[in-house]
Amino acid sequence: MSLQKGFMPKLIIDNIAVEVAEGVTVLEAAQSVGIHIPHFCWHPALGKAGACRVCAVKMVDGPVKGIQMSCMLPAQDGMVVSTTDQEAMAMRRQVIEWLMINHPHDCPVCDEGGECQLQDYTIAGGHGLRSYTGKKRTHINQYLGPHIEHEMNRCIQCYRCVRFYQEFAGGTDFGVMGSAGRIYYGRVEGGQLESPFSGNLVDICPTGVFTDKTARFRARYWDYDMAPSVCPHCSLGCNTVPAARYRELLKIVARRNDAVNGWFICDKGRFTNSVVNDPARPRYPLVDGRKVGWDEALDNLLLRIREFGAVHGPESLAIVGSSRLAMEAATLLYRLFAGIAAGSLCYFTLEEEADQARAAITHLNDATSASMGDVQEADLIALVDCDLLQDGPMMALAVRQAWRKGAKIFLVENDVAPEAQKGLPFEWQSVSLLSDIPIREARKPVIICGRGKGMQDVAPALTSGVKLAYLLGGPNAFGAALLSAGHGATTLAQAVASGKVKGILAVEVDIPPELLQGISFIAALDWRATAIVKAAHIVLPTTAWVEMDGTYINNEGRAQRFKKVMHPGLPIMGLDPAGHPPRRHETAPPGGEPRPAWQVVADIIERTGTERDVQPLSGQWQWLRHLDAESPGQRIWQNMKQVK
Amino acid sequence: MSVINDTKAIVIGMWTTWKHIFRRPVTLQYPEEKRIPYPRYRARIVLTRDPDGGERCVACYLCSAACPVDCISMQSAATEEGRRYALWFRINFSRCIFCGLCAEACPTMAIQMTPDFEICNRDIMNLVYEKEDLLIDGCGKSPEYNFYHHAGIGVTQRRGAGLEEKPPVDVRSLMP
Amino acid sequence: MFDPIDIAITLGKILLVFMVIMTMAAYLVLAERKLLGYIQDRIGPNRVGPFGIWQPLADAIKLFTKEDFKPAGADKWLFYLAPAMAAIPAIMIFAVIPFGAPLTLFGRQVTMQVSDLNVGLLLFVAFSSIAVYGVALGGWASNSKYALLGSIRGLAQLISYEISMGLSLVPVVMLARSFQLSEIVGAQEGCWFIVYQPLAFIIFMISILAECKRVPFDIPEAEGEIVAGYHTEYSGMRFSLFFVGEYINIVVLGGLAATFFLGGWHGPFLPPVLWFFIKVLAVAFLFIWIRGTLPRMRYDQLMMFCWKVLTPLALLNILATAWFILLKG
Repeated sequence: MSLQKGFMPKLIIDNIAVEVAEGVTVLEAAQSVGIHIPHFCWHPALGKAGACRVCAVKMVDGPVKGIQMSCMLPAQDGMVVSTTDQEAMAMRRQVIEWLMINHPHDCPVCDEGGECQLQDYTIAGGHGLRSYTGKKRTHINQYLGPHIEHEMNRCIQCYRCVRFYQEFAGGTDFGVMGSAGRIYYGRVEGGQLESPFSGNLVDICPTGVFTDKTARFRARYWDYDMAPSVCPHCSLGCNTVPAARYRELLKIVARRNDAVNGWFICDKGRFTNSVVNDPARPRYPLVDGRKVGWDEALDNLLLRIREFGAVHGPESLAIVGSSRLAMEAATLLYRLFAGIAAGSLCYFTLEEEADQARAAITHLNDATSASMGDVQEADLIALVDCDLLQDGPMMALAVRQAWRKGAKIFLVENDVAPEAQKGLPFEWQSVSLLSDIPIREARKPVIICGRGKGMQDVAPALTSGVKLAYLLGGPNAFGAALLSAGHGATTLAQAVASGKVKGILAVEVDIPPELLQGISFIAALDWRATAIVKAAHIVLPTTAWVEMDGTYINNEGRAQRFKKVMHPGLPIMGLDPAGHPPRRHETAPPGGEPRPAWQVVADIIERTGTERDVQPLSGQWQWLRHLDAESPGQRIWQNMKQVK
Repeated sequence: MSVINDTKAIVIGMWTTWKHIFRRPVTLQYPEEKRIPYPRYRARIVLTRDPDGGERCVACYLCSAACPVDCISMQSAATEEGRRYALWFRINFSRCIFCGLCAEACPTMAIQMTPDFEICNRDIMNLVYEKEDLLIDGCGKSPEYNFYHHAGIGVTQRRGAGLEEKPPVDVRSLMP
Repeated sequence: MFDPIDIAITLGKILLVFMVIMTMAAYLVLAERKLLGYIQDRIGPNRVGPFGIWQPLADAIKLFTKEDFKPAGADKWLFYLAPAMAAIPAIMIFAVIPFGAPLTLFGRQVTMQVSDLNVGLLLFVAFSSIAVYGVALGGWASNSKYALLGSIRGLAQLISYEISMGLSLVPVVMLARSFQLSEIVGAQEGCWFIVYQPLAFIIFMISILAECKRVPFDIPEAEGEIVAGYHTEYSGMRFSLFFVGEYINIVVLGGLAATFFLGGWHGPFLPPVLWFFIKVLAVAFLFIWIRGTLPRMRYDQLMMFCWKVLTPLALLNILATAWFILLKG
């Protein structure tokens, strides 16, 4: 065996020759050629523990012989591995049976049933009937907060939860106790889990010890409406799979994207379903609070706009988009602006958010933009004006991974409130100026800029090799900034300050009440019950991100497609007072009127008569149409020659 | 010779059918004469209760997953004591093919088939049965079975007090 | 030239024959359903009237009141014409079949035959060829793949079996020395031709079974394979024309079998007309019995059986008969 660098061990697994990098385990080597070896404790993000013993393989020939745990054994030259050997199969089958000795008989009332790794392997291992007649060990469960349900009787002691919680996510309030068959995973005292990444315990547990309490007893895996999606709750664009059933968003699980969120997502992205299921959501087009059909509402809107133009002049109307508006609608806003000859086009409301996004599109390019994957690989990280846990919790997790590998973390002192730094899952050094950080000495330095005022000072620190990451205001802030710069748009705050804005057409935007003083006409397109929707004269309901296909450009300039998960409409639960679904047939779901924002904008444009058959994402944005939601996304610089 | 064999085969066949012409028909004149089906006959589906009177159905969705014609739908929910139950449970008998896969899939013996096959109706909505139409006050077949006594997670009894269970582990004990 | 009484008698005979055949066809349906029921240890139709005797009436009402449906893309006129093409030639054949001994009424010789043509046998062969068009057009005009497949199968089958059927009749003509059916019947006064020609009879029976498209030769309408074959797209009265045509065919071919081989109306003790009916019904019973017993043949078996077995056998039979007649002088 040679230890020289670049040496690639060659081994044979099930008669297939495999060549892998040094240090790769036999289990990973097998996976690289499509041979799946069962495993519980091994996880690609957490590595090995050797706790479950279910990945047994037979080493037929080579430096090691006999039954071995493939997750613990680095691939070595000359190994001949059999995963289908009788002895190995018997071992795996018996391990499954041992693991099942104490596992309760409660799959029908377990939310993991149907998506349970233990269930799958038990069935696959042929362990259909229990032959052990002894009694099972039981545990007392703990209250772990409103999001996570604890059921320790189901535990198979794989240590995944505690390895994730303590090692990967840096949580301190959850751990492992006891010994032997009495091992207990929990807190010292019951109480809410403190880590902002605790929801990942649900994903990572191979069985049903941790289940999503918010979706408790609601549906089964095979009944979910699921599609690849992107989290809209911050600018990082973590990949998710929302799961819906009966027109209700039940839960969200993480989707792997190594360049963005890796295997995990934060609790904010996971447990914020209520906005979609909110009973107060605008469901019908409203004109002065009266429910009307789409045609009437759109006709009325144009009539009002014309009347408004006659009184105040069309230039006193502002069209306002936002950083949470998907690219499809955002690209159409300019055409609407031109179509009705409005006075102002705004993609941002407040100056601060716009400045920061402008800085991002100015300083970032394909070489300088740091993805979260890059952050994890960095050896020096400078945090400038960051409130990581508020504006991008997954970035904090990425920084922790770099820190675990030995990266130095510097925090530039600033006016972000000091309590924001509490609970950051890594250690850092405080410096007063960015220039105090020895950036030039690092091989892979990354500067992460938050939403404070100090980030204008970043520019001098930029030298070759330094990567930058920004935490922006919304899931599509980057795209909105590109459009804003391209169309020379202002912010709403500026437009209002100039005094000429008398009417607002708000497209999925939250506008603070102080900007609404002196506005005589408001029309709002939104799917959230925001203050401006309540104040609007005309409300046009749009679909939430899980109810449509769309595109967001995240903080690093990565365009990602999300797919429609569910149909818009009132959840079936609660439609009929008798408790069951209505006993009459309808062709359309009640409350299913919301349309994607781009479609509503396109309808308005078509009604102005300036354009026909309006399609989103035309011109320089056309490449976004062919984006694959299953792919890791594409950075804009790879697809657009000239980004303005 | 094949001609002789073939002819013989045809003649035997003809002779067999000829004999059957004079046999007594097995037909029962259905509406006037009724046949009592066997207890395991697969007809109208019911939801049973456990011996303690609780609903056996835990709304695990296995029957609706097993159903080849998708005629079963339900919504599971939890009672205050944490018992999983069907908030609503609907079987569309106008779609049901009475294959029995749901009853076979049921892990709690809740869904069972009865010999009552006379449920024809002119209005299809009358064939859409809700939970209150399906639930009966009895155990049906396997009258002793109570799922929660075997499940191993408590709910209807103290944790560790079910059948085949040890009392809960004291995690703070230092005993080996 | 035309005696009005002759015309009246002929019209009367036409009417009589038509009514009798239609009634027989209708009740043959019932008889078949009943008999199949008994063969299968069932009762068969028994709800309409005692023993279900009004079942044909109920069927007729049902079929009359059904929607007359024409598939989109069907060839309208051919689609309407085809059922008639299937049923009418079958009835026409009966014109030449003698169904009883000539009567003397009011001093007039009345033949129990609508028309005693001297080429009656050829007329039968000609009309049975026309019936092929019903199948061909029905399948083609329906604009449906099943119907087309059925009609293609039907065409090949009908044309093939017509040859073996025609050849099996040649010895009959040779023995009777006439194409006239009354003379063929007359030639059998002493001994039925089935005695002289058992092989020709068997070939003829198998061939007419195939001509009727009945089990085991029902591949043009094989339900298990091509829905209902050439009449898949027909409904209501048009369907029933095909359906009734099939049963008229049974009656007519039963009459022909009786005429050619079973001595026509000849028979002891009973009146000639009754003898004729008994023979027709016996053939019909045989058809139904066979249907209740045998499975459907495969298409290649069917064609091979015709061309490689029946046709050569019929030719050999002709040679043998000719040799026999020559020897006899």
